[in-house]
Parts: sequence; C-alpha cells; structure tokens
Amino acid sequence: MLEISELRKRFAGGPESPGGKVALDGISFTVRPGEMFGFVGANGAGKTTTMRIVMGVLQADSGSVSWQGRPLGYDDRRRFGYMPEERGLYQKMRVAEQIEYFGRLHGLSAPAAKQATDDLLERLGLTERRGDAVQALSLGNQQRVQLAVALVHDPEVLVLDEPFSGLDPIAVDALATALQERCRGGVPVIFSSHQLELVERLCDSVGIVSAGRMVATGTVSDLRAAEGDTLRVVVRDPSPGWADGLPGTVTVNGDRHVLQTADGDDQEILRRAMKAGHVEHFGVEQPTLTEIFKEAVA
Amino acid sequence: MNGLMLVARREITTQVRTKAFAIGLLITAVLVAAVTFAPKILGGPDEYTLGTVNSQQLPLKAAAPDAQIEWRSFPDEAAAKKAVLDGDVDAVLVDGTRVLTDGEIDSQLGVLLQSVNREVKLGAAGMSIPPLKMESVGADTRYESARAGIAVVLVLVLFMLLMGQVMMVAMGVVEEKGSRIVEILLSTIRPWQLLGGKIIGLGVLGLINLVTILAVGLVASAASGIASDFPPGLPGLVVGVLVWFVLGYAFFATLAAALASLVSRQEEVSSVMTPLTMLIMVTYFVAFYATNDPTGTLATVLSYIPPFSAMIMPVRMAATEVPMWQVALSMGAMALAVLAVLGFGAKIYERAVLRTGARLRLADVLRAG
Repeated sequence: MLEISELRKRFAGGPESPGGKVALDGISFTVRPGEMFGFVGANGAGKTTTMRIVMGVLQADSGSVSWQGRPLGYDDRRRFGYMPEERGLYQKMRVAEQIEYFGRLHGLSAPAAKQATDDLLERLGLTERRGDAVQALSLGNQQRVQLAVALVHDPEVLVLDEPFSGLDPIAVDALATALQERCRGGVPVIFSSHQLELVERLCDSVGIVSAGRMVATGTVSDLRAAEGDTLRVVVRDPSPGWADGLPGTVTVNGDRHVLQTADGDDQEILRRAMKAGHVEHFGVEQPTLTEIFKEAVA
Repeated sequence: MNGLMLVARREITTQVRTKAFAIGLLITAVLVAAVTFAPKILGGPDEYTLGTVNSQQLPLKAAAPDAQIEWRSFPDEAAAKKAVLDGDVDAVLVDGTRVLTDGEIDSQLGVLLQSVNREVKLGAAGMSIPPLKMESVGADTRYESARAGIAVVLVLVLFMLLMGQVMMVAMGVVEEKGSRIVEILLSTIRPWQLLGGKIIGLGVLGLINLVTILAVGLVASAASGIASDFPPGLPGLVVGVLVWFVLGYAFFATLAAALASLVSRQEEVSSVMTPLTMLIMVTYFVAFYATNDPTGTLATVLSYIPPFSAMIMPVRMAATEVPMWQVALSMGAMALAVLAVLGFGAKIYERAVLRTGARLRLADVLRAG
C-alpha cells in the first residue's frame, strides 16, 4: 500500500511573491495494491508536485510517503515506473535501445531487459519502429515509448503524470488496457488527468485536489453518494410561476423549463409539473465526476 | 552493471556510432599524418646534382653525410654548359679546376666543393689536416627545434580535445535537463552516477581521439623519417600527455556539468559556459606562450598551478627536460584540484539539475542547500 501523508511544499518566491508559493498544503491519500487512483484537479493544483515528491525528484518540506508500511526509499523507487508530465526521451536514441537502457538502469539484466523490451514493443504495436530514432516517431508513438520506459522493469507501482494527454481515442484505449492489466496484476496505479470521463471509467478511486489540498477523495460511488442524486424535470410551455415554492433551481431554455433539485418530494414535483404543462423528462440522475469536481473545487 | 557504467556506456556507444565521430577521427588522423610528413616534403635534406668533364668525382659524402648527391659525366664542356643552363645539374666540375654554374653558386655547395677540393689536392701532395673538433659548452640543443615543434602541436591538440569534450558534457547535461529525461533517470539512479557516467563516457571518447592522434603521429613520423630527430624520452612524454589530458578533462568537464545544470535550454549553454571557456582559452594562450619560453618564470610558476598546469606542464615536458619530481608535484596539485572540483561541482549539479525553467543563479543554488 502506498501512503501519502500530510505532504507540504512551499516554493521559494521570486521578486513578485517574496513569501513564496504554497504548492502543497497537507496532501494525504492512500493507494492499495491493484487500485487505480485518478488524480484530478485544476492546473497548478499540486498534482505534479505530489507525484514528483513521490518519485523523489523533489523534496517535500514536511510529510511522508511510505510503501508497504516503510518510508519510501531509493531502492523502492527503482522498482517504480514513472512518466513525468513533460515527456523525456533521448530524441536521437533508437526506440528499442532506449527502452532497454531504462530497463538496465532499473536493475534488469541485459537479456531480461531485451526480452521485456521485445514484449512491450509487440504489445504497444511498435515492433516495426524498434530501430527508428525517437524523434522520427509521431507524438502518439513517442508517448507509447514513454509508457514502455515506465513499464519495462515490471514496476511495483506506477506513477503517471497526464499519461493520456495528446493521445487519439484508439491510443487512449490501448494505454487504458495496458494500465488495467498491470492493475489486475496487483500494481497500484496513480495517474493524473483532465479527462474526467476517462478517470470515471477507469478508476476505482479518485482524489480531487485544489490549491494544494485534497478536497475530496474516495471511490467514485462514494463521491457520488456524498454529492447526492439530482432530480431533473423538463416541462414544455408551463404556466407562469408553476415552480413557485418548489425546491431547486429552474433554468429556462426557450419554451422548456428545466428544474433541478437534490431534495423535495419528487411525487409532488411531478404532479405540479404535469399540471403546469407537458412533461418531457422526469428522472433521477447521478452526478458525473465533472459535476462532483466542479462542486468540490468551487 | 551499475548505473555509473551504464550511463558511461550509453554515452560512448551513442557517439561512436554517429557519422560525425568516425569522420572526425578520420580527419584528425589525416591532419596529423600530414603535419608529420610536412617537414619532409617542405624541407628535407639537401640534394645536389653535379656533373664532371674530364675530372674525378670529389668525395663529398665524407664531408656532408646528410646531403644526397648525384653525379653525371659529360663528354665535353659544351654539353655540360647546356645541362647547367637547362637546370639539369647544379654545377659541373671541369678539368678538376673550374666549376660551371648558372649564376652564383649555392653558398653551401660552394663551401663544400672548395673545402673538399682543397683536402683532395693536399692529400695528393701527401699532407693531411686533422679536422676541427666541435665542442658545445651550452645545453644540448640538438633537439631544440624538434622539441619546440612537438610542444606546439601538443598544446593545440590538448586544447582542442579539452574544449570539444567539455562542450559535449555541457550540451549533454542540458539535453537531459531540458527534456526532463533527468526526472526519469534520477528516480532510478543517483545524481553522482548520472554525472560521473557522463563525464567518464565522454572522457573515454576524448582519450580515443588523443590515442589516435598520438599513434598516427608516432607511426607517421617513423615512416617519414623525422622520428630520428625526436629527443629521447618520448614514451615518458606520451604517458604524461595522457595523464594530463585525463586530469585537465576531469577538472573542466566537472565545472562544465555544474554550470550547464543551471540552464534548461541549449541556447543558454554558451552564455552560461562563458567563464569556463574563457578559463580554458587563457590556459591555452599561456601554454602557447610557454612553447616560446618554456624555461621562463611564467611557464615555470604556472606549471604548478591548477588548472594551468594541465597544459603548461606538458609544454615544459615536451620543450625541455623536466625532473620527475616536478612533474609528480604538479600532477599531485592538479589531482587535488580535481577532487575539490568534483565535490563542489557534483553538489551544484545535484541541486540544480531538477530545477527546470529560468536560468538559476549560482549563488542561489549554493545557498539553497
């Protein structure tokens, strides 16, 4: 289990902000084996900073990261897989050699690195590009190589910063499948993304960060339950003032009135709506992650 | 294989496979060979073609062993005159009493002919004069010009190789920092492994270049015959140059890596490196000056002071004979300086290489720890 607890980080300020900028203000969350954890938040909320601290390329001012009950150390991190936010590959190095090189750096023997590289190239559909320089590949293919670099040593934990950004839908599916396979093998996976539908579809649990704090964390269904369901009623051409006294908000869209409410007597609302006009839609809706996110960050 | 060696191996294989490396090595070899053969082609020993009409050939070989002399005999004076005017022969001895030339005779040839002629005539008359014995009371200057030549070539080679490899280290550091590969690398290996591996790898490439230059130079000078003019103690000089290159490279490359880690873009490399390139240039200029005055105070003093010693001591070793203890002392001082720079440079590199973005100030990096 990967436990991130009370991480704080302040960046030294420049001339315009002498006090510095608080990047993390006590971030805590845990990721269990085989769990896919989606990390969402606005730009600058602290996702990348958190991941960099987990990977040891940035020091936290305070707080701790532990893996399997012990403070996370250098030797543990060698068995992690990491995809940084800004992609980093040797542009002039050949695809297969690059993946093998990182495999060796992560401690694989030469034959093991070669075997793992061949398998990954096959799985990611890059076998034919193995001898090409990275710079000759399309961005999508470079991203696959980047993923291969993170996966080559069969990592115990995956930490991926925006792995899906810039990928076409087919590549997104390929990457999602690759991650789900690792996850089913018991590997905790943390990834950040702005594609909330994707996070909702893939992740077991979600953490929402805002301004360096974890404002909501839990499984997607927990978050939905906390947010509560919404009753949505659409009435066409209702008589004026039909919703007076009813809970929730009414938005007018042409001759359609949309009432949305989280509480109130749904049967009473339906009766009032039917009396007022033609009911086109009446239903209870679960909040989407986007709505939960907007609510949490607001 | 540990991280350090893996990084070093990557640096070497990546470079060795490029066309630029192979072509560079080839050009270097050709240039070195050309420089080595140049004295033979341009200068070379004196060559004379001489003729006789009704005369004995003079025994010039004994008086001028280095000169190459070819004799021809002509049936009469008219034929000899024609050959002289056509430039086929430099001079013709007629009847053992007169010499025909086209214009004034080459002064060395003139003196040679006169003195040998006198000796032959005196010998015929039963007299012999013991030759004068030459004695130098000054230093052994036989190899002075060869030594100066070697020193000049050496300092140029050291300078070019040091500058080239040091810039490669700087560019490599920025390549990794700017593209953020360094984040993946440093979540896997330690900063000193990455830094050390890069410096070792590019240093080995520099050594490959240097060994090529030395080998081609030695083989070509043996083939061209100028090796016979070389002073004794050449093997010691070769070993010394290799050691000095390693020391100088370690010193400058570590500083280059530290400075380069302050910036994130290739365009900023040359400006952040300016102080270091200036230092290397100054070292080169002083060393070049020292080739002219290898026993002067400036050369003597600076041959002990790092990092100047890295180029000036090799110059002194090539241009004069330096006692072993002086070389050892100077190398010891340089080795200490390298250790100090390694500690200092590694610290800066470690602190700066993950801080991407705007150029960092050295003072801020030092304070941040």
